[in-house]
Amino acid sequence: MRPLTLWRYEARRAGWAALLGPPLAVALGVVAAWANPLPGETTTARILLGALEMAIPLAAGVACGSLTGRDPAVEIQLTAATSYRATLLRRMAVTLAWTAVIAVLTAAVLIATGWWARWPENHGPVAGQLTWLAPTLGLSGLGFAAGAVFRSPAAAGALVTTVWALQQFFGDAAQQNVAGRLLYLFATTRGAVPGDWAANRLTLLAVAAGFVALALVVLGHSERLIGEEDE
Amino acid sequence: MNTVGASFRYEFRMQVRKRSVWIVPALSLVLFVLIGGSLLRDLFDPASRPPEARDAVVGLALQIHALLTIGFGCLLADRLIRDDRLRVAPILDATPARPGARLAGKYLGATAATALPIVVAYFGFAGAYAVHTSAPEAFGWALAALGVVIVPGLLFVAAFALTVPLVVPAPLFRVLFVGYWLWGNAVAPDVMPTFSRTVIHPLGGYPLDVLLDFHGIDGEDVWAGPVPGATLNFLRPDPTPAAAWLSIGVLVVLAAVALAGGHAVRARRIR
Repeated sequence: MRPLTLWRYEARRAGWAALLGPPLAVALGVVAAWANPLPGETTTARILLGALEMAIPLAAGVACGSLTGRDPAVEIQLTAATSYRATLLRRMAVTLAWTAVIAVLTAAVLIATGWWARWPENHGPVAGQLTWLAPTLGLSGLGFAAGAVFRSPAAAGALVTTVWALQQFFGDAAQQNVAGRLLYLFATTRGAVPGDWAANRLTLLAVAAGFVALALVVLGHSERLIGEEDE
Repeated sequence: MNTVGASFRYEFRMQVRKRSVWIVPALSLVLFVLIGGSLLRDLFDPASRPPEARDAVVGLALQIHALLTIGFGCLLADRLIRDDRLRVAPILDATPARPGARLAGKYLGATAATALPIVVAYFGFAGAYAVHTSAPEAFGWALAALGVVIVPGLLFVAAFALTVPLVVPAPLFRVLFVGYWLWGNAVAPDVMPTFSRTVIHPLGGYPLDVLLDFHGIDGEDVWAGPVPGATLNFLRPDPTPAAAWLSIGVLVVLAAVALAGGHAVRARRIR
């Protein structure tokens, strides 16, 4: 099988949600910014950056949580020369690469049109890309690990959306202690203690790496994948 | 009626035995306690809890409903499409059981089973609070909040969670649902057009405000009624008991409409 054919196949197996989620997230964020009647460009800029920091990571996180448990005959996958976890990791890479394309294009448009600069906490055009990258990888890692552990896209999606909503509803409480601040997903648009932003972003990246490692360990146990499904 | 009862029973048993139906709310509650700032902890702290039992348990209902309903909707999103995915739908369609009755039974059974951990968690905390503070009336308020706030909201969410994935992939539905939940419940009406504080408010703004006379933990919040300068104010009548019952009725009717729509989509595909 030629590599390109393989990647195209994995992109199809990642599903429609992985393909449609990120652009839809950006579109809804733009609509929300446009519908906001509050005066001042800062608020609009905040909602636009919020599409990058809140909506895109949510779409990517749920898509990555839905990767495990989609194959109708996983036994065949387990007999292939390529390990199944490498296959799933490839599908996660495809999902995240597509998410990154949408996020970078959106950021480029915001920078070119000046909306990026109108949000005071934008952290510049280069380091500022961590606005979407860190929470996207953090939630995607959580989703991938939850999908591997539960083998249920429903449970993984539920967990990702709950964590996301919990930080939305209780953003202030989440920032009351150091651990909560370091793990806060929306530090760019909803505030971080000055000096905490870089530490927060790096912590999210480290947590993402930890979750992916956990998922790979769990997925290495083939018998779990062909055992009783949590339908 | 037999069909509804039979499919209710097997859907309920099937769903209630799923580990994730219990693990997801349990993990959500652990995270909720860890993050702090909620009544899950404050109920047992004399310095932080509301002075009245009614405010304490109704506030608890609001917080548990706001958070756990997200997992509830996500867990239900694969129930109806599952029959097609496992290729059992044609077999079920070949039975004499009417599809509409099977859908009603599936809806009620899966909803009841997925709601069970939420109800258990709510009454667990409310009961612990009632014992801790020697306030037996807390049970009464908890029952009232369950009946007029949590149950209508869950019925509304469950109907859409079952049927929307017939036309939108389930993972995408989960993303859109949590976005809707935040937008339609928590966004202030003067920030952007939203169903928040309208009669279509699954968090239960009108029943909270009027039927339970709940105005937030600090007693200063308004959950329903018109907002100066906001769009969609025609959906925000003045908060009266009639408007509160209307709000509950609207949620139930919309749930029935969603189920009817799902039934029509399935009927077209079978043909």
